Amino acid sequence: MRKVIIVYLLIILTAECYSQTEKLLVPSDLKQQTIVTEPVTLRKGFFRAGLLVDYRVADRFFNDSGEKEYYQTSSWGSKSAYGITLQYGITDRFQIDVVSEYLNKLQEVQTTEIDAVTNISKVTVSKQKGLGLGDSHFALKYQVIPELEKKFSLSGRLRVTVPTGAKNPRNIKSENQFDLPVGDGTFALSLNISARKIAYPWSFSGFAAYTYNFNGTKIFNTVTQIERKFRYGNLLETGLSANLHLNEWIVFGNEINFYREGQGEIENVKSDLLPSSRALSYEPGLIFQVYRFRVSETVRIPVFGRNVPSDPLFVLMAQYVF
Amino acid sequence: MKRIYLIISLILISSFLSDHVDGQKVIPVRDKYVMLTMPYNQRPLNLYRGQFQASAGYKFAVRAQSFDSDGDLVHLKDNGTGSVYHYYFAEAKYGVTDFAEIGAETNFLRRGIRDATVTVVNITSTAVERVTVNKLTESKGMGDIFIYTSFRLPVKYNWFDFGIKGGFFLPSAKYETPEPANTVKAVSLASESNTTINLHYNYKNGYGVPVWLVSAASKFTFRNLSARAEWTMRDPLKEGQNIRWEEALTDTKFSYYDNTYSYLLSRTCTFDASLHYQATGWFNVGLNASYFKTKGGWTEYWGVKYENPKKHLLNLEPGFELQISPGLTVYQVAGFPLTGRNCDAPFYLFTTIYYKMFPFLR
Repeated sequence: MRKVIIVYLLIILTAECYSQTEKLLVPSDLKQQTIVTEPVTLRKGFFRAGLLVDYRVADRFFNDSGEKEYYQTSSWGSKSAYGITLQYGITDRFQIDVVSEYLNKLQEVQTTEIDAVTNISKVTVSKQKGLGLGDSHFALKYQVIPELEKKFSLSGRLRVTVPTGAKNPRNIKSENQFDLPVGDGTFALSLNISARKIAYPWSFSGFAAYTYNFNGTKIFNTVTQIERKFRYGNLLETGLSANLHLNEWIVFGNEINFYREGQGEIENVKSDLLPSSRALSYEPGLIFQVYRFRVSETVRIPVFGRNVPSDPLFVLMAQYVF
Repeated sequence: MKRIYLIISLILISSFLSDHVDGQKVIPVRDKYVMLTMPYNQRPLNLYRGQFQASAGYKFAVRAQSFDSDGDLVHLKDNGTGSVYHYYFAEAKYGVTDFAEIGAETNFLRRGIRDATVTVVNITSTAVERVTVNKLTESKGMGDIFIYTSFRLPVKYNWFDFGIKGGFFLPSAKYETPEPANTVKAVSLASESNTTINLHYNYKNGYGVPVWLVSAASKFTFRNLSARAEWTMRDPLKEGQNIRWEEALTDTKFSYYDNTYSYLLSRTCTFDASLHYQATGWFNVGLNASYFKTKGGWTEYWGVKYENPKKHLLNLEPGFELQISPGLTVYQVAGFPLTGRNCDAPFYLFTTIYYKMFPFLR
């Protein structure tokens, strides 16, 4: 009998047994969560640094009637921004953000003028560049309804824009020869409310934001070079997104967003120099999570709009959680 | 007796437990997940038998420079005549056998090229008259449908493969040039008048005639490195006809009439050579050199045939292929023009998404 029991024990030792196990999450695992699975604010003590590059050319635009048009005159414009983002989790529900960017703007125009009497032609080429630190943003984000307790999260964000970028044209040599401004020249305050629900492998979210622009002064005319009081129109933004895990570390991002900016004022009078604008855009993207690194590539495609560029905006981002 | 019952019970229990023990399994010869996830360096030139692949791509090109007839680089953006180019691409192909596949592809493009703005000024003692002319040439529309068959060596791919491909571009696209959409805007204030003429010429996509294409490709693999070379030739079957619009401006209104003209497309030869490194099973990086050259062909202007300018361009294309899931792959290349003649030299980013499946294999 004892022999039989020994044989039996030897046999069952080779058998594979299943039991319920619980995976132990450690901080390094939490820092590797994807854009779908991570909480909407950073956990306490987590620090995330990121680099952002975006690029757009000026080829077509939505006119005042909402129709897509090419820029008619011989001109070429491009804008690229190199941003840095720093985020820190003060508590599990409270996060602070600092964002700033370095701008590279280019606008080139060539005009040829022919005198009908003398038949002498004069070619004027104006090349305007704008290089330098742009405006900076400071934001506080708080999870009003935390995701851990409820089935969805609700968070609010308060953002202050500080005009750290040069607001006026510089090195003015003539009406068309000067360095472009890289800042808006005004403070702004923005409130954003967003909600998110995770239904793995999906996450769905929506947001609404309102930005109030304060008064400022800047030069609008390079001939007179007089600083005038102005205020941009306030900005309303809203969007819906659905992000999908294609596999464990790649997410397909989808966002539809809409914004509307009111008409601006110069010397307290509504001005055509600061027209009202709006745009509805679709933003697909791929977001890769490689351990603590996150790399994403997205394109913002304007679908409808008024008084806005209609060319796609390419955005590359790299982030790391410390 | 009791002991026998106990032994039988123990054997039965043990055999039940042992059902959950997996031994080494032999992978079937045609496992579709193995074939769908086959890395680039182990993949033959064609699809596997029964494999279907649908692809969609988007190319965004910034035409900021071009090469002139002497091969010198012209910075178009300095003249304000830079532009962008949007090209959408779709392809479907199917592996009929392990050595033959059939496929079809088409495209859609949109681009607008601005010419330098010219203003003519006439100043007299009593009045100032300005006439500004802007010119935009827009091309937009679906391309022809290309159908093809390709064959490869009837052997299993180990380290060398060779294939040929042949097909036709069916003139399915609306290639006939539409009427221009020129506009005139005149503003007069006292003794000063300003007139702006916006010339907007429209063109379509497509060759307008059947065009044949043949190509030959070979691929070598050494461990994680692969090299691929492909030569392609494209030539029209016959001469084509299209219309060219002429315009007349009376006061502020344009009237148009068209003229028919003949043309013969140039013969185009393309040579691609690429080197790939399989970093992991799901990630491949590569560097491609792409060279094209056109020769022959003519276009008729007012009854006289003028030879098409000879063009050539060499592009360097670093890129990567990323397997997202067994069915989904992303391929992206960036193009940098190096040398050329008589052609645009855009920088571009071409992203393609492939969806692969075996519709009839369980």
